[in-house]
Amino acid sequence: MAKISINLLPPEILAEQIKGSRFYKIQLIGITVILMMVFLLSLTVVLRILQNRSIVMAQVEMDAVLQQVSGLKSTEASLYILKNRLAVISKYLGVSSKQSSMYKLIDELIPSSAALNAVNVDKEGGVVLLLSVFDSDSLDTLITNLSQKESNEDKIDQVSIDSLNRGRDGIYRISLKIKSK
Amino acid sequence: MKKADILKFYQTYRLFIFPAVVALSSLFLILFVIYPQTAKLISNQEDANALFAKSKILATKAAALKSINPEDVSQKVSYALQSLPADKDYGSTLDLLQQLIAQSGFSIASISFGSSSKVGDTDGFEVKLEVKGVKILLQSLLNNLENSSRLVRINSIDVASSQGTQAIDVSLAVEILYSQLPQSFGAEDAPLPQISQAEDELLAIIARTTTTVTTSETGGVSSPRGKVNPFE
Repeated sequence: MAKISINLLPPEILAEQIKGSRFYKIQLIGITVILMMVFLLSLTVVLRILQNRSIVMAQVEMDAVLQQVSGLKSTEASLYILKNRLAVISKYLGVSSKQSSMYKLIDELIPSSAALNAVNVDKEGGVVLLLSVFDSDSLDTLITNLSQKESNEDKIDQVSIDSLNRGRDGIYRISLKIKSK
Repeated sequence: MKKADILKFYQTYRLFIFPAVVALSSLFLILFVIYPQTAKLISNQEDANALFAKSKILATKAAALKSINPEDVSQKVSYALQSLPADKDYGSTLDLLQQLIAQSGFSIASISFGSSSKVGDTDGFEVKLEVKGVKILLQSLLNNLENSSRLVRINSIDVASSQGTQAIDVSLAVEILYSQLPQSFGAEDAPLPQISQAEDELLAIIARTTTTVTTSETGGVSSPRGKVNPFE
């Protein structure tokens, strides 16, 4: 048998009941929101306190290490000086200058039948040579040696003859200007 | 307005007043407390991370510095400073040049000191050497100068030889290098400079040449130096 329910309450009270239940829901949501806010607030505050504590501890630790490093400052300075010196020394020690290597090269290229009267190697590595050569073959060999890439180790850019003469004694006297690369 | 009226007003509009109060107070909390605290928390965390990293670097640096033998480093620095001193040091330069020239079989006609100049990223001063010897030994003189315990660069070479003999007159312009000491040694947390294998080998070469020079000096160099007391 079906139940018959009849609401005999007046419509004003019914509307009031609906309004009350709606307010209850809103109140519940509102309180939840407030509680959440309080939770977030306390969480951030606690995290800040913990963070500050760990920062202070790290600072103390760092101060101690800094003191250790300061105590070893002289060793550190010595290391810096050593590194600074070695950087420069490595560039120059045992490295032949252009002038020195040009002199060595020319000394090797001059045939034994030629006598060196004077050599001048200037600051740019340019060379002026004064030679006495005893025969024309040696003269050819000398010029070829100086001007060919294979023999001059690709260090010579230009060879020019300033003067060439042959004396009554049959000796060639030659003045050469050599431009290095 | 009476209390009863306020209560009645609230009862009538509570559906709107309560959510508005909750929303406003939440907004106030977010704007003035939660957001600033969170922002500060994030920025502090970045600072803290930097602090931890710096502390870690410093701890490594301190450990590395403790492991270094200071006497060994001082010895190496003294070798390096003999090779590239902080100032001109004319006296030791003169000694060294006399010794190298004598070792190479040449005799000195004159030595004159010139002005300072910049050589790349370092300083130097020119020395003019007039020496006499035999041609065959000139290369050894050049090698000895360029591999000496002090950094020497050859600027110019002038050789004049006598007809039919091996005797030569040599005029050399050499640059003696020196460099001022660095004034700053980097930040506290800057990493320590590492000495590479090649630099260690270089140090060994410098130490060897320096020791050779010292030994030769104690052995006595047969180079004309004049009287010990010029007033005798």
